[in-house]
Amino acid sequence: MDRFANIIAFAGLGCFALAFALSGLYPYLITASTRPEASIAELAQDVPATFHELKERFPVAFAAAHAESDAALTARELAGMQDGDPRHDASEAAWQAAYARALQHGRDRYVAEGCWHCHSQYVRPVSNESVRFGPVSTWVQDHNALQRPVLWGTRRVGPDLTYEGRLRSNDWHVAHFLKPKAVTPGSVMPPFPWFFRDGWQVHRRIDPEVAERTGLSADTSYPLPGVYDTQAEAESALGRAQQELPSSLAAERERLFVTEGNGLNQDGLAMLAYIQWLGTWMPPENEPE
Amino acid sequence: MTTADLPLPAGSDQPARPATQALSHHLVHTALVRWHFAFAVVFLLTSMTAGFLVSLNFLGHYPFENTSWLAVGRLRFLHTNEIAYGFLVNGFVGAMYYAVPRLTGKPVLSKNLGWVILAVWQTLVVATSVGQLLGFAQGVEWGETPTGFRPGTWELNYIPVDFLIELGAVLVAAQFLTPLARSINRKMYVTGWYLTAGIVWLVLTYVMGNTLPEWNLPGASGAATVGLFIHDLVGLFVTPMGWGLMYFFVPIILRKPMWSHALSVIGFWALAFFYPLNGVHHFLLSSIPMSVQYGAVISTMAVEIVVTTVIVNFFATMSGRGHALRTNLPIRWFYTGMIFYFITCLQCAFHTSLTMQKTIHFTDWVPGHAHLVMLGVFAFWIFGIITWLWPRLTGNEWYNRRLNQWHYWLTMIGLLIMFVDLLAAGVIHGFLLDSLAPWMDIVNAMKPYWAVRTFSGAMILIGSVLWTVNLVLTALNPKPYDYRVDLVDEVESTGPHAGEAGAA
Ligand code: HEC
Repeated sequence: MDRFANIIAFAGLGCFALAFALSGLYPYLITASTRPEASIAELAQDVPATFHELKERFPVAFAAAHAESDAALTARELAGMQDGDPRHDASEAAWQAAYARALQHGRDRYVAEGCWHCHSQYVRPVSNESVRFGPVSTWVQDHNALQRPVLWGTRRVGPDLTYEGRLRSNDWHVAHFLKPKAVTPGSVMPPFPWFFRDGWQVHRRIDPEVAERTGLSADTSYPLPGVYDTQAEAESALGRAQQELPSSLAAERERLFVTEGNGLNQDGLAMLAYIQWLGTWMPPENEPE
Repeated sequence: MTTADLPLPAGSDQPARPATQALSHHLVHTALVRWHFAFAVVFLLTSMTAGFLVSLNFLGHYPFENTSWLAVGRLRFLHTNEIAYGFLVNGFVGAMYYAVPRLTGKPVLSKNLGWVILAVWQTLVVATSVGQLLGFAQGVEWGETPTGFRPGTWELNYIPVDFLIELGAVLVAAQFLTPLARSINRKMYVTGWYLTAGIVWLVLTYVMGNTLPEWNLPGASGAATVGLFIHDLVGLFVTPMGWGLMYFFVPIILRKPMWSHALSVIGFWALAFFYPLNGVHHFLLSSIPMSVQYGAVISTMAVEIVVTTVIVNFFATMSGRGHALRTNLPIRWFYTGMIFYFITCLQCAFHTSLTMQKTIHFTDWVPGHAHLVMLGVFAFWIFGIITWLWPRLTGNEWYNRRLNQWHYWLTMIGLLIMFVDLLAAGVIHGFLLDSLAPWMDIVNAMKPYWAVRTFSGAMILIGSVLWTVNLVLTALNPKPYDYRVDLVDEVESTGPHAGEAGAA
């Protein structure tokens, strides 16, 4: 047995193959091979209200991320429409396509940011986990294309996220991504400011007298419509805005300034869509054999 | 075992060599050994620095919060991957350039290939880290090396590092399997078995873990394969490389053969058989079929028996040379590592029970355990090997031998503190989880332990910095080295004169 060829054959190849057969192939044969894996398109069939909301809240980033965004109509736009209008169906398809793309992109960011090293996605049948997080995980539920590779994780610095979707509002997550410590005092989750910069915007600082009267900080400002790719473009928009102001409001001109946009960007949108999706998809019932 | 199977003690193969000359051996490319060791140490420092920075986040004071490419989540990938691929692989490959030609009596395949491997490998390690910092990591633990493809698709978005590493691993295999196959001894010595198998396993394991869960095996079966990958990488690459080199260096330094050949045989084959069957124990109490989980539990317990045989063999070999623990620093690194190895594996046998999993899984207990293995065992062995070889490779006496002692004590005590600290944190985390305490109560309960962890991490980092300084200054300052000061004398017991052979 201490010859080179034997070591290669029995230890190098043999033992490795045996282990792979028993702990890789065998579980595959008795689980995954028995039913088709759900594709991302299937996972994105039901587009939730939280995703619709993103288009209204972050229109610039949404349009940049989703070419279909013109066809994907908001609830308000759809409301005024006749029954049987073809734009209804087109809108539905556009939403599903956008949602599927966002889920995939969001999963990619979830992997790349290492969320899965602080959060698990599997609920065990012990330690009251089903009380704390939700039903115990089954393999069927993870038998989908967003679990490639599986994002079960091995460490819980933060809570399990298997059923995170719909648990909290979009606004909660947006604030949490920007400043976890502000939302949950003492949190050790890092902030993700790079989910936010989506270009440059013109802002208008509040009138100091109004601030005084209403008790707001004098630094409070509101964005004017429009997000620009470069600072220079934003500066020229600022110039235009200043010219448009009547001379009676000259003081207002001084209160306009250019700053980096702080809405969600494409990465942030996708991340949010993914987090809100978690645990909302349930596998179709097993067909009787 | 015949004495022909034994590696020759360093120096004794060329008796005419003057005592103060840098090592030269007609089969060994010393420059390659030196460069691999140098890169190993560079990645050791960058990896430890990353680990230290990540720990600051847990104290609530992370200095680079707004810099996306220094994000805590991304630096964590760099911390583990540079240790595995940057430090351990370079350390092992460097040591193999030294050991394999001496063991087999044959040169490696090609010196030029050696330079190619050296350059390619470092480039890949850097490409891995850069990719991870830019946000292209892959979702496989210990294998976050970028595939270069969007998960599950064939859309290229970064350098396909995974495939290139596979290619690099094949080159390494060609380089070292050639002399091992052509060895002048038809029957290989134990080291040869471990290295041969370890090289083959590296190639197979890497291919398996970096393709199947991404493209072929979804959900729970993918998780089983990921578990297998995590485990094989440590159990079928790092462990055999480490033990193979221990079987080589320990008898050389102690100047006596291993105590029992039979135990060496049992140790090797039991490792080959049981170790890879453990994979699924990384995901116990999960939705992977229970039959598979129980299989992993039982084989994990079996591994403990293997480990005991190997440890007994090495400690019996020590008999009559116990004083070397005091006088010879490399031996002290090796044997401290072996004690930690025993503790780690004993832990495994208990961890794997579902009762204990319930409490410790998902907690800091596991990183505590992982540090004891990766740092306390394998890094300790590489520290020992480099410390033993560095004056031989450079021909220079140590710039300062006391710095090496500082390295040992800071690292050893730092690691012990970290280990105990993280175990305690893990138990508390586990019980608080069960108690349904609000999540922030758990986080807050961890904070004192995280502070201690940062402190112990700083000790370890400082130890390594001191050692690095010593390595560099030793290489730069010519000072004649007499290798005889490091030889372990053959006294039967620790007599009063034993310590005088040279203070480590
Ligand atoms: C360093 C560890 C760490 C990392 C990395 C991390 N988190 Fe967290 N996360 C936490 C902790 C701790 C909490 C609990 C405290 C809080 O609410 O902030 C948490 C809470 C959360 C919550 C709220 C859960 C709830 O309902 O209470 C969500 C959602 C979340 N994280 C998502 C993410 C996402 C997405 C990422 C990656 C972009 C991420 N986390 C990265 C540690 C982390």
